[in-house]
Amino acid sequence: MSKRITIDPITRIEGHLRIDVEVDGGKVRNSWSSGQMFRGIERILQGRDPRDAWLFTQRFCGVCTTVHAIASVRAVENALNIEVPLNAQYIRNIIIAAHAMHDHIVHFYHLAALDWVDVVSALKADPAKTSQLAESLSPWPRNSRRDLEAVKAKLAAFVERGQLGPFTNGYWGHPAMKLSPEVNLLAVSHYLQALEYQQVANKVVAILGSKTPNIQNLAVGGVANAINLDNSSTLNMQKLYMVKDLLDGVTAFVQQVLMVDVAAVGAMYADWLGYGAGVTSYLAVPEMPLDTKGTQFDMPGGTIFDGDLSTLKPITSYQDPYFRDNVTEAISHSWYDGDWNKHPWEEDTVPKYTEFQDDGKYSWVKAPRFQGRPMQVGPLAQVLVGYASGNPLVKKWADWMLTTAGAVAGVKLGPNVLHSTLGRIAARAIRCATFSELGLKHWGLLVGNIAKGDTAIFTPWEYPKGEQRGFGFHEAPRGTLSHWVVIRDGKIANYQAVVPSTWNAGPRDEKGQKGPYEACLIGNPVADPERPLEVLRTIHSFDPCLACAIHTHDAEGKELAKVRVL
Amino acid sequence: MSGVEQGETGTGRVAVLGLGNVLQGDDALGPYLAETLSAKYEFAPGVTVLDAGTPGLDLTPFIAGLDALIVIDAVRASGAPGEFRSYRRAELLEKPPPQRLSPHDPGLKECLLTLELIGQSPAEVLLVGAIAGRLDTSVGLSDAVRAGLPQVEAAVLAELARLGVPARPRAHPAEPDLWWEKEP
Repeated sequence: MSKRITIDPITRIEGHLRIDVEVDGGKVRNSWSSGQMFRGIERILQGRDPRDAWLFTQRFCGVCTTVHAIASVRAVENALNIEVPLNAQYIRNIIIAAHAMHDHIVHFYHLAALDWVDVVSALKADPAKTSQLAESLSPWPRNSRRDLEAVKAKLAAFVERGQLGPFTNGYWGHPAMKLSPEVNLLAVSHYLQALEYQQVANKVVAILGSKTPNIQNLAVGGVANAINLDNSSTLNMQKLYMVKDLLDGVTAFVQQVLMVDVAAVGAMYADWLGYGAGVTSYLAVPEMPLDTKGTQFDMPGGTIFDGDLSTLKPITSYQDPYFRDNVTEAISHSWYDGDWNKHPWEEDTVPKYTEFQDDGKYSWVKAPRFQGRPMQVGPLAQVLVGYASGNPLVKKWADWMLTTAGAVAGVKLGPNVLHSTLGRIAARAIRCATFSELGLKHWGLLVGNIAKGDTAIFTPWEYPKGEQRGFGFHEAPRGTLSHWVVIRDGKIANYQAVVPSTWNAGPRDEKGQKGPYEACLIGNPVADPERPLEVLRTIHSFDPCLACAIHTHDAEGKELAKVRVL
Repeated sequence: MSGVEQGETGTGRVAVLGLGNVLQGDDALGPYLAETLSAKYEFAPGVTVLDAGTPGLDLTPFIAGLDALIVIDAVRASGAPGEFRSYRRAELLEKPPPQRLSPHDPGLKECLLTLELIGQSPAEVLLVGAIAGRLDTSVGLSDAVRAGLPQVEAAVLAELARLGVPARPRAHPAEPDLWWEKEP
């Protein structure tokens, strides 16, 4: 008999992601993904000056602030046909790279890893053996026996005080946890170090963005970072070298710690390469522009259909009609009035709530489609598109990951194993390593361009009369983000953001095609319905970011997340 | 206040962080007061006042290594909208953090606990705020919450004084940068 499990962290934040699965015979047979909060945030933008849009859009979400700012200025620049000076592209690109590394480090160590690493088991580890293991895998200097003894002591002191602190809600001792105590200890040690390195990455964004978490240096037409090498209050060599030092530090952590940990932990869970594929059509947009128009990029974009890398069709520029003309959003299973599938420029947002109807409307999230098909977005999409395009950096790090994990697991792994729950986690690390190199590359490009005497940071422009339509995209840490704007006489007439988690977490469409979260859960094992760790593993592998949060402090501290088994 | 100075001021570090989403009605309380305080007062060296938005676990870098943290946030509790509430560290940490489903879910509580593991969690934590009324997608505080602001502001000033880093009223207060409240 099938059991229905609902995972619904309802009380803490006003509506969030809710996942429902039907489990039969220890496997998921049916699934629903539901966004539980109505935002309608685009409506706040109507009538405003498009120059201010990015300030508002970066408040959509507290975690993905810079990405909405960047997509927004790109959308308005696209609508008004504005080219962006090279320095401004490079400065934005360095921010993008640093933000990506920050985000991916936090995702792996502080969100995803705890589904695979049994923190409590680390207390049984032998620090000397852990250190030997670590030093066989990586040249990282902070894996010494002494380092690991200190971590174990810290963890023991925490547990002795009768609390697990941030680890309280883990499924410790769950039968699906399989790492040795030594690997668990190593992972806990790097969890703590990751706290330092995410701060280092954040400092890069703070220096170039003038402020974090909400950057202040963007402008439609460029950036506001005045460049004057002789002035201490502008972007000068001292600040640029500070940025380089910080990038060097994060790069070492990403390449010597994150990549190694993902390969090693992944290898021990190789069976998870067989779960969680779901929707194997992928969409990624090109990123890290190299020219003022957005026609050359360091990271390629494009589509792949049905898991077949030979179907690659590239998206080549900020103006590419292949992207512009093929994105729609459907609402047949979403709590909006009507049943349509419309282009973002034509959409409206009229809420119409019903209860949760398995066969009807059940989510506040719309269902984005590309040529009418559900698409998976995120690091996996970008890595597969990069791999299929023959991008040397992506290939280098993807092959490194597959070879290293394969060697630890004692099997040969090809890119096909990436269509999976673990593949998404591996792809995020591969993307992170790729961006670690690109951040430094674009730092070099910026310094080189300034050395040539180019200090331009902004292209002046004026509003034309009449109506303009634009779209701006950004390959964000969670995948393809696009903003769509209609401008009429210098004011915003319509604005839509099609965000990565909408692509992935969206519900079924009018043809009944499941969204990627829903599809990837089918066949997923569930050993214990009361503790559906395996469902969380697969959902977490996407790095969901749905709430675009509200942050009310909940003083009552009611039951803060719940799993219901019916 | 520029984030660049953050972490470079040495000992005696105190942060006043306004948390909340400026596009969600009364959730803007934290950012609103952070901007208001910055415009009205001068702060002692080592004191950072920041509209921090809704960073979830990304709050960690802003808290790490502080001696004292003051959080201004809208509060969900039983009571009337606008009513003042404050919580000290122990009260904030009383209940375990929630299950994580997305990077937003870890909040202040989880950040404090996580930093404790690396010895960088501030010893003094005070959360002050008012009970939220409306939290829908909208710009601007409700009248009830607006009426409760002076008490929250006074509590922040009292805490800074208690910590030995009192704020001083500016001779020429600036207009607070409440850009999100501007009419389109």
